[in-house]
Amino acid sequence: MSKELKNITDNIMNQIHDEKIKMHSRIYFIIGSILTFAGLVSSAVISVFLVGLIRFSLRSHGPMAGYRLDQILSGLPWWTPTLAIIGLVVGIWLLRKYDFSYKINFKVIIVGFILAVIVGGWVIDSIGLNDILTRRGPMQGMMRQYLNDNSIQRGPGWNRK
Amino acid sequence: MSETLKLTDEEIIDRVRSNERDLYSVIIERYKNKLLRYAINLVHDNDHANHIVQDSFIKGYINLNGFNTKKKFSSWIYRIVHNEAMNVVKKYQKEVPILDDFDFESEEDTLKKFEQKETAVYVEKCLSSMPLIYSEPLSLYYLDDKSYEEISDILRIPMGTVAIRISRAKKLMRNICQKN
Repeated sequence: MSKELKNITDNIMNQIHDEKIKMHSRIYFIIGSILTFAGLVSSAVISVFLVGLIRFSLRSHGPMAGYRLDQILSGLPWWTPTLAIIGLVVGIWLLRKYDFSYKINFKVIIVGFILAVIVGGWVIDSIGLNDILTRRGPMQGMMRQYLNDNSIQRGPGWNRK
Repeated sequence: MSETLKLTDEEIIDRVRSNERDLYSVIIERYKNKLLRYAINLVHDNDHANHIVQDSFIKGYINLNGFNTKKKFSSWIYRIVHNEAMNVVKKYQKEVPILDDFDFESEEDTLKKFEQKETAVYVEKCLSSMPLIYSEPLSLYYLDDKSYEEISDILRIPMGTVAIRISRAKKLMRNICQKN
């Protein structure tokens, strides 16, 4: 048996007694979990909205595919996917950091997240929630800006409250 | 002290968290030899393995409030050692020495023990010749007596994958050890 191994207990216990190493408080882990959850939820919301926006944009520019693609690429608010990707990366990093000891299948989380975003975006756009959000919701300002920048004609119900 | 020895790991952790910090030494004593052997099987270097085990106990203590006492402490601490060892493996990928003469603590010195020890050393040498993805679950299963479920928790792979890797590892082991 190596000498170092014999000393492991003493080394660690001395550091604990001298308070060189301290336990993180429970609140540290609670805050970490809340931040992780909030990060993932916000990135999911932004991503869902983005999918809805793309579908909306595809509809509002008519049948010319090349034109629509150009319009989407030129008018896309790039900060939203960037924020979503950063949110996802930070969320997973935090999950790994705070929950490093338990089995988490990150592949399933990522695939599930992407599927949820696409399906969520499609459903939101299909049931018209997207339109309601653009008129009254928190995304109203951003949506107005997007429509103005791309000279997209507003429907008759635009100003309806 | 004898009372504390009867406590489960999870009960001890609960008491350490409620300010009985000295009890953490019981946990260290329970696990340090097992974890050292596990770390050596991963990195094949005594010094690195010692540091890995020490750092893992320190990380474990710092994050003790993040441990869920409804789960097994042993899987939790093995996972920390696995993570630390993987960092070392990545860092020193090109210089992985083969372990020749490491001896573990043994209080008995009978012939039987000696033979068992020789077998263990032989098995460890065979293990060190195998790729890590096979040697790790095999050593956890046979040397550390972990169940498929625990190995799945430690390595974060599905139980089916654990079974497949152990099965392949056994075949590899047979081939490698027969050649030696």
